[in-house]
Amino acid sequence: MAAASPDPGVTRAEKRALHKALNGGGSFKVRFRRDRTLVLMTLPAVLLVLVFNYIPILGNVVAFQEYDPYVSDNGFVAIFHSPWVGFEQFSRLFDDSAFWDAVQNTLVLFGLQLVLFFPVPILLALLINSVIRPRVRAVSQAILYLPHFFSWVLVITVFQQIFGGAGIIAQTLRRHGHEGFDLMTDPGIFKFLVTAEGVWKDAGWGVIVFLAALASVSPDLYEASAMDGAGRWRRMWHVTLPALRPVIALLLVLRVGDALTVGFEQILLQRDAVGPGAAEVLDTYVWWNGVRNQDFSYAAAAGLVKGVVSLGLVLAANKIAHLMGEQGVYKK
Amino acid sequence: MTPNTSASGPGRRSFLASTAVATVAVAGGMPLLAACGGSDSDKKEGTTSGKDAKKILPTFVAQNVVTPDIASKNGSSLGFTSKLVTADLKTSVSGKLGKGSTIKIMSPFWGSPPKGDNPYYKAMNDKIGANVVWQNQDGNTYDEKLGAVLASSDMPDVVVIPGWNMGGKIPSAIISKMADLGPYLSGDKVKDYPNLAAVPTDAWQRSIFGGKLRGLPMPSSYVANIVPYYRKDIFDDKGYELPTSAAEFLALAKEITSARAKVWACDDMKWTAFNSFGVLSGSEKPLGWNLVGGKLVYRVETDEYLEALEWTRKLYSAGVVHPDAKAQNQGDSGLRFTAGEVLIYNNDISHWWAKTTEQAAQNKDFRIDGMDIFGHDGGDPTLWAGAPASIFAFVNKKASKAVIQDVLAAANVTAAPYGTEEYMLTNYGVEGTHYTVKDGTPTKNDKGNLEVLNAFVMLASPASTIAHPDLPEIAKAQVAWQQRMGAFTKKSSFYGLQIIEPARYTNLSNDFEQLEDDIVRGRKKISDMQQAVADWKSQGGDKLRDWYGKLLDDSGSAQG
Repeated sequence: MAAASPDPGVTRAEKRALHKALNGGGSFKVRFRRDRTLVLMTLPAVLLVLVFNYIPILGNVVAFQEYDPYVSDNGFVAIFHSPWVGFEQFSRLFDDSAFWDAVQNTLVLFGLQLVLFFPVPILLALLINSVIRPRVRAVSQAILYLPHFFSWVLVITVFQQIFGGAGIIAQTLRRHGHEGFDLMTDPGIFKFLVTAEGVWKDAGWGVIVFLAALASVSPDLYEASAMDGAGRWRRMWHVTLPALRPVIALLLVLRVGDALTVGFEQILLQRDAVGPGAAEVLDTYVWWNGVRNQDFSYAAAAGLVKGVVSLGLVLAANKIAHLMGEQGVYKK
Repeated sequence: MTPNTSASGPGRRSFLASTAVATVAVAGGMPLLAACGGSDSDKKEGTTSGKDAKKILPTFVAQNVVTPDIASKNGSSLGFTSKLVTADLKTSVSGKLGKGSTIKIMSPFWGSPPKGDNPYYKAMNDKIGANVVWQNQDGNTYDEKLGAVLASSDMPDVVVIPGWNMGGKIPSAIISKMADLGPYLSGDKVKDYPNLAAVPTDAWQRSIFGGKLRGLPMPSSYVANIVPYYRKDIFDDKGYELPTSAAEFLALAKEITSARAKVWACDDMKWTAFNSFGVLSGSEKPLGWNLVGGKLVYRVETDEYLEALEWTRKLYSAGVVHPDAKAQNQGDSGLRFTAGEVLIYNNDISHWWAKTTEQAAQNKDFRIDGMDIFGHDGGDPTLWAGAPASIFAFVNKKASKAVIQDVLAAANVTAAPYGTEEYMLTNYGVEGTHYTVKDGTPTKNDKGNLEVLNAFVMLASPASTIAHPDLPEIAKAQVAWQQRMGAFTKKSSFYGLQIIEPARYTNLSNDFEQLEDDIVRGRKKISDMQQAVADWKSQGGDKLRDWYGKLLDDSGSAQG
C-alpha cells in the first residue's frame, strides 16, 4: 500500500495513530475494516485468477497419471479414477527426440526474436518520437499499429502471396527470365521467416509502451543537454535511452519469462509447410499430442516441464535486472 | 449428389464428403481407430464378427422403392440419372413414428449453420414427429471439441462422429458413454424402421463398437474414393494424352508445367501414388494390415509404400507440383484446379459433379474428368477397399427409451432411399420453399442452399447413392469409374470390421503421415522412413502384429 509519509501538517498524535494503523497496529479485524473497500475491489480479479489460473493448476496431476477422461461421467471426476504412473510420462517425454527438437526450435526462435524483434519497437519509437508534425505522426502510428489487428491466417496468406513459390515476386522474376524462389517452404530459413512475420505484424504495436515512456521525459533535459553542446546522438544516448531503461528492462524480463512461448497459431499454420523438424515448438508439440492425439497425460507432462523452465527463466531474468540496478518485475 | 447451383459450391452431401476426404487426406495415417484402457463390463478392444456379430446385426430387408438406372457392381454406388417426376415420388414412412421428444444432436458442420427454427428443420421435425435441436460444430476442427464434449457430464442426446475423428481415446468414450441400440434394431426388430432395415449389412457391421451395435451408419462405397481429376478442356485443347503409367505421368507433368505462365501439372498426388502403386489402404489402421504368405504385414512395411513415396518425391523435385501445395496449408487444391494453375489434382469422387456445377456459370469451357488410376508399371492397378461406412451417429447412454426411439424414428426418415418423398425432404427440403423442379431437374434456391445443409443427412443414410438428374452424364461417369476401379479392388484381411486396438498402441503409427509429407517434399529421406518403420516395429509394431494375428485367428479374414 502506498502509504506516503504523513503531511507535515499533522499532529504527533495523529502520526502515531497512523503509524500504528499501518504497521500491524490493530487486529486483523481493524485492518480489514479499514481496507475493505480495497479488498472488495480486488475480489473480482482475485476470483478470476483463482478460477482460471490457480484451480486449473491442480489439473497438472494428470501428468503423473495415465489419464483417461472417459472412465467416468465427466472429465474432472475421471482424474480420480485414472491410474497413477509416477514419472513414466516424463521419461517417455525425455526419450522422445521430437520433444528435444521442439525444445531446440523454441530456444533458437526465442534467441532470434530477442535479437531481431525486441529492439525494433524501440527504434521505431525513437523514430516516431522525432517526428514533430502531429499529422504525420498520427498517420505513421496508425499505419504501424494496423497489422497488429490482422489475424495470423491473413498475415501468412499475404506472405505466401508475396514470397511463396507462386507468389508475386517469384512470378515477376520468372516472367523476366529469372529463376523463381520459394521462401515459405524452406526449413532452413523458417525461423527467420517467422521472426520477420512477427516484426511486420507486431513491432508497431510494441511501440506504444516505449512512446509512453518517451513522453514522460522532461523536455528540460533535452534543452539543458543541448545547451551543454550535446548533439543529436549524445542527447539520445544520455537522455532518451536512460529514460527508456527501466521499461526496456521490465519488458525484457517479461519476455524472457515467456521465452518458451514463441507463437502458437502462427507456427501451427505453417508447420506443415516446412515440417515439424524445423517448425515444431513446445506449444505446438503439446497441442499435437494433447488435443490431436488425445495423449492428455503426456501433453500435460510436456506443459509442466515448460512451465517449470519458464519459472526458472523469469526468476533468473529478474535477478539480472536487479543486478543491473533496475526494478524488474517485482522485488522482495 | 444433389443438384444445386450454389455459387459457393457443392450440395451438402457432396460437400460433406469432399471435406471429409480433405480431412482424411490430412489425417491419413493418423489414428482413425484406436482403443482404450479401463475395465468395464463391455468389451473394450478387438472386434466383433461372425456368429457374435450375427446375433447383433439388423436383418436386411431390401427396400425396392425405385430401381436405380445403374445397378451397383463391383462395390459401386447406385446410380440415378433419369428425370425426377415429383408426382411419382413414393412414401417410405407412413405416419409419424416419433413421440415428440426433444433430441439434441451434436454434429460436425461444414459451412455456416442456419437458424434453428427454419422451415427445413420444422418440416423435418414434423415428418419425424420429434423436436430435433442441432448443436453444430465446425467440421474442420471437430476433433478438438469432440474430446471435451465426450468427457463432460452434459453430453447431448446424439453425437455424430466421423471415423477420421476417432483418434486416441474416442473409441473408448464411444463404448463407455454411448447406448446399445441392439435392443431396438438387432435381428427382426429393425423391421419397425423399414428404411434402416434397407441399410446394407456391411455398414451395420462397421457400427459395432465394443461388442454392441452403437452406431447409426452413413454407408459409402468401398471403392477407392480419390479420383485423379484432369482438366479435360485444356487436355483436349493442347492434345495431352492421358498417362497409363507412373513414368508417363511424370513425363507428361514435365511437359505441362510452365512456372513462367503460372501453370503446374499437378497438386499433391500422394494419394493417387498410393493407389497406383497398390499400397494398402491408409484410411483406417486395420485396413492397412494384410495377410501375405501367412504373415501379417502393415502398409508402411511394404515396398510399394516406399516406391509410392519415392515417385511422389520425384514429382516435387521435378518442380511439377504447385508451390502452394508444397506449403500444404495454403488454400484449396480445388481452387488451383478451377483457376487453371494446376491441370491435375486428386480428390473425392463427389468433386466430379460439384466442380462441374460450380463452374457451369463462371467458366463455360471448364470440363473436369477423372482419369483411371493407372498401375504404376502400366499394367492393371491393385486397389484396396476402403470402409463401407465411416460416419456414425451415436446415442447417449443416459438417453431415455423414448428419446432413443425418437432418434431411430428420425434416422428412419433420413435413411429413406432416392425416389421417395422423405429423401427429397431430407436432401432438398420443401418443394417451392427450398427447391423447384424444372424439366425433371430439382434445383435448390438460395434458401435451400442456406438451410438444407449438412444437418439431417448426418443421422443415417441409405445405401451409397449417386443421383444427378441434372447432369446424368456425370452420374454415369462417376458410377462407371467406380465400377472399373472396383474390378481391380481387393479386400484386405480386416475389411469391414470395426476394430479397436489396445490402448498402448493407439499412438504408435501417428507420425507416419507427417513423415510421408516430409519425404515427398524432400525434407527427409526414404531412409528416414525405413528407420521409422524399424522403430515402429521395436516399439510395439511387432506386438501389434501378434495382436492382429490372434484377432485374425479368432474372427477369420475378409478375404475368405
